[in-house]
Amino acid sequence: MRNKRYMPSMGLAFSEALDMKELSKKAAEGWHLKRFQCAGYGLEKGEPEEVIFSIDYRKLQKADEEEYFELFAYGGWTHVCSSAHMHIFKAAPETTPIYSDAESSIDKLARLAKPVNLVASIALAITMVLWVFMTFTSGTIQHIAEQGFTGSFIFTVPAIMTSGGVYYHMWKNLRLKSKHI
Amino acid sequence: MKSLEQLTDSVFYIMAALTEPRHGYAVMSLIEETTKGTFVVGPASLYTIIKKLLAEQLIQLHDDSDSRRKVYVLTDKGREILLEDIERRKTMIHLAEQGLQRGQK
Repeated sequence: MRNKRYMPSMGLAFSEALDMKELSKKAAEGWHLKRFQCAGYGLEKGEPEEVIFSIDYRKLQKADEEEYFELFAYGGWTHVCSSAHMHIFKAAPETTPIYSDAESSIDKLARLAKPVNLVASIALAITMVLWVFMTFTSGTIQHIAEQGFTGSFIFTVPAIMTSGGVYYHMWKNLRLKSKHI
Repeated sequence: MKSLEQLTDSVFYIMAALTEPRHGYAVMSLIEETTKGTFVVGPASLYTIIKKLLAEQLIQLHDDSDSRRKVYVLTDKGREILLEDIERRKTMIHLAEQGLQRGQK
């Protein structure tokens, strides 16, 4: 039996919590997260383990890494893997959540929103330019623009939806915060 | 965390812990011990707030820091902000205590 498995991500901006829950379920079945892998997670077979997972988004300076991971270790969270400013940790169930207040979890979403919005804006701009070419040119250029438009449209829609997803979570957190104050 | 004009409980606890030089994780354990575990700060929240307080110059790296063990302490500006927030919280408590006393009569 193979001892490696791939688990696709549902899209972190939409369902971060679902992804983390799924990783938890897999760990209980003996499949442990080892690495980020191509829009998903690489799992390896081991002993079943009751753990919860959390993800943080943060661009870390080399000089800050040690302090950052040490704080998590002290809080009971074991670092599992990192990729492109995303860091996943695991801990025993009932461990204090990595974000204990609404204020700083909104900051987390704001950090996530930056690159997501950048990608969505660029994609939208390219799609619009291609649309202009497609509409106001003729012949070969129009044909190429048409092809390009279809491609970029397929990419732009989920990119904008992802942006929307991040803002939806931010809005949910703001509501949570206003309930607390 | 947009404004630090009114400190949230997390920020207040962290600033209170940094009235004396401390490591991040010493801040965590001090808060947990003093509140007997009724208030805990998660590591990601603590890290976010420390970075924010540094940027706002309310805390600074202490002389005892090295790259491995970062020690923070309140700046004069930080002490001032904390004092202001203590006064704000005192007013809240005063109001509640007085009300409760009057209510008993």
